[in-house]
Amino acid sequence: MTDQTADEPAPVRSAVLRAPAHRVSSKAPVLWAVGAAARSLLLLGGVVATALLTPWDPAWWWAAPLVLLLATYVVAMPVVRYRIHRWESTDTAVYTQTGWLSREQRIAPMSRVQTVDFEQGPLSRAVGIATVTVTTASAAGPLKIEGIDKAVADRLVEDLTRRAEAEAGDAT
Amino acid sequence: MSGSEGAPATAMPPTPPTPSYVEPVPWRRLDARMLLVHPVRELARFLPALVGVFVLGTANDHSSWEVIGVALPIALGVLRFLTTTYRITPLQVELRRGLLGRSVLTARLDRVRAVELTASPIHRVLGLAKVEIGTGSTARQDDEKFVLDALAREPARELRAALLHRTGRAAPAGEAGAADDVDAEGPGDGAGTGVGVGTSPAVGEDVVLLAVDPRWVRYAPLTSSGNVIAAGLLATLGQFSDRIGRLLFQDTSVASQVRQVPVAVLVVLAVASFLVLGAIFAVGGYLVTNWRFTLSLDAQGRSFHVRRGLLTSTETSLERRRVRGLEVSEHLALRVVGGARLSAIVTGISAKEAGRTQLVPPAPREVVDRTGAVVIGRTEPLHLPLTGHGSAARRRRYTRAVLGASVLPLLVALLCLTTPLPRWTLLPALLPVLVALPLAADRYRRLGHALDEQYLVVRSGSLRGRRDLLQRDGIIGWNVRQSFFQRRAGLATLVATTAAGKQAYAAYDVPVAEAVALADAAVPGLVSPFLV
Repeated sequence: MTDQTADEPAPVRSAVLRAPAHRVSSKAPVLWAVGAAARSLLLLGGVVATALLTPWDPAWWWAAPLVLLLATYVVAMPVVRYRIHRWESTDTAVYTQTGWLSREQRIAPMSRVQTVDFEQGPLSRAVGIATVTVTTASAAGPLKIEGIDKAVADRLVEDLTRRAEAEAGDAT
Repeated sequence: MSGSEGAPATAMPPTPPTPSYVEPVPWRRLDARMLLVHPVRELARFLPALVGVFVLGTANDHSSWEVIGVALPIALGVLRFLTTTYRITPLQVELRRGLLGRSVLTARLDRVRAVELTASPIHRVLGLAKVEIGTGSTARQDDEKFVLDALAREPARELRAALLHRTGRAAPAGEAGAADDVDAEGPGDGAGTGVGVGTSPAVGEDVVLLAVDPRWVRYAPLTSSGNVIAAGLLATLGQFSDRIGRLLFQDTSVASQVRQVPVAVLVVLAVASFLVLGAIFAVGGYLVTNWRFTLSLDAQGRSFHVRRGLLTSTETSLERRRVRGLEVSEHLALRVVGGARLSAIVTGISAKEAGRTQLVPPAPREVVDRTGAVVIGRTEPLHLPLTGHGSAARRRRYTRAVLGASVLPLLVALLCLTTPLPRWTLLPALLPVLVALPLAADRYRRLGHALDEQYLVVRSGSLRGRRDLLQRDGIIGWNVRQSFFQRRAGLATLVATTAAGKQAYAAYDVPVAEAVALADAAVPGLVSPFLV
């Protein structure tokens, strides 16, 4: 059966991606922590409310590991994420790296960039950061640069738009 | 405005002014014979209500209800005919419809990726075909689909040719369209007389690449479609289990006989009958959908046509230059008997439309390979030896399989310890583990990737095994994904993104350095600035 993989595999080549050049804004992790804290409190409140209002009566020491876990999440997640989240834009391509437990690197050629979105929620607006999303013609490939300084984001959007316009073709 | 000027105004329904930025191409109507299609269909839809009407009507002598019940669907059909018009300008195709809420759908001609002609039995009797235009917009709602229901068969084909082969047209399109429409006098007749853009380039016959062999129906029971239908049927029957049960067991002797049969035998019987039922439905489904399935290439070699269908006939056309690769579906059951099926990866066909790009229904593997080679014009990518993904990937396949499969036995073991559940139940609970191990082995064995001058080939999966051949030119980005565990194992999932087909084609669990090298080699210059 042709199902078999090759008996003598082709010479294995290897290459290593470096991290993208730029970090996101140092304000971003603060925002991530705030979000994480809000979610954690919500979860904790839900558990406590369930324990008080329903016949379910867990032993109270259960709360300790839960609180510890959530606290770790609130503190560690933004730190780890800040170390991982990076981005870079060159003449030929956009390159991002995201994630905290898992990790994802995305590269899109400038010639295939279709839209560049600028986004600011109320909180990020208050602290002056923004999210830039670069999409290609593939539904699987948006590159999201989350939490960069507004000034940097503005420049990036302008830059990307100009470069994408300069490229010919319908980007498919 | 332009519409009512350029053509005999009498032929036009009372229409609001059309945008003035398009050339004066008159609006056309659907074929008048569709008047018969819609009422029949509306009647079918109203059938439950109609039955009620007639039953109630005859019982209570409310004859006026009957009239409304019959007249309303017919009126809806006539309204739809009167309010649906379309036209092709040199730049775009427009569809206007709706009585109260008017809507105009517009698609640029150069965005037309695929055209599908379908004819239900009603359509076929009347010599009509429904034309569906695929523009690849992912945002479209169902009611925003570009559908002309229906045109006469020949004009429908001409329309298709015009939509797909604009580049080859001779005369300026606007003139041709206007000239054609002069004789569009009677309502509905206009649609039958011409198409608007260009003349159909009917030079030479289509080249048939593949005609389905009826013997291939033997592969049908190995696809899951039949089981799905059977399951649906059983679920429906389940709704009436009370009544069926009462009916069957009214005779107490039957009931007592059934009670004497051991449960295990009943279970086996139930499963067996389910499988048989599934197989029957699958064979039926295969025959109905793939009856006289032919794949052909038009004489100019510009587009592929797929024709199929026993009751409802379907003709799908794909532009050849939009084909970005092939998907070979090699599900385990099919693979065991040497079968496979083939689809095209086509740009601009949205995920919802992806099912329409099937090039070969379940068929022998040689046929799939041969047809695939003809479609992409090369043989090598289909027979490339693949590079395996190594021992870390193998370990990961086994770990995942065993972890997933051991959930059930662990649960049962826990229940055995804490509840009076008999110990022997642990044995059948171990079954998933036994199945999982060979599956993991197969999943690993199939993992692989390869690269040739034009194509990236990735293969994965076992039960739902697949092999994708993606044109390297069609790759518009890379995602390198690593889950927590993949990172520890030094593996990565390399995803090639594309504007075609599933939008993303992945090589799973490739050693990370190899994945990056593969990405770099497949699209030169894209990744290299970011290498260490």
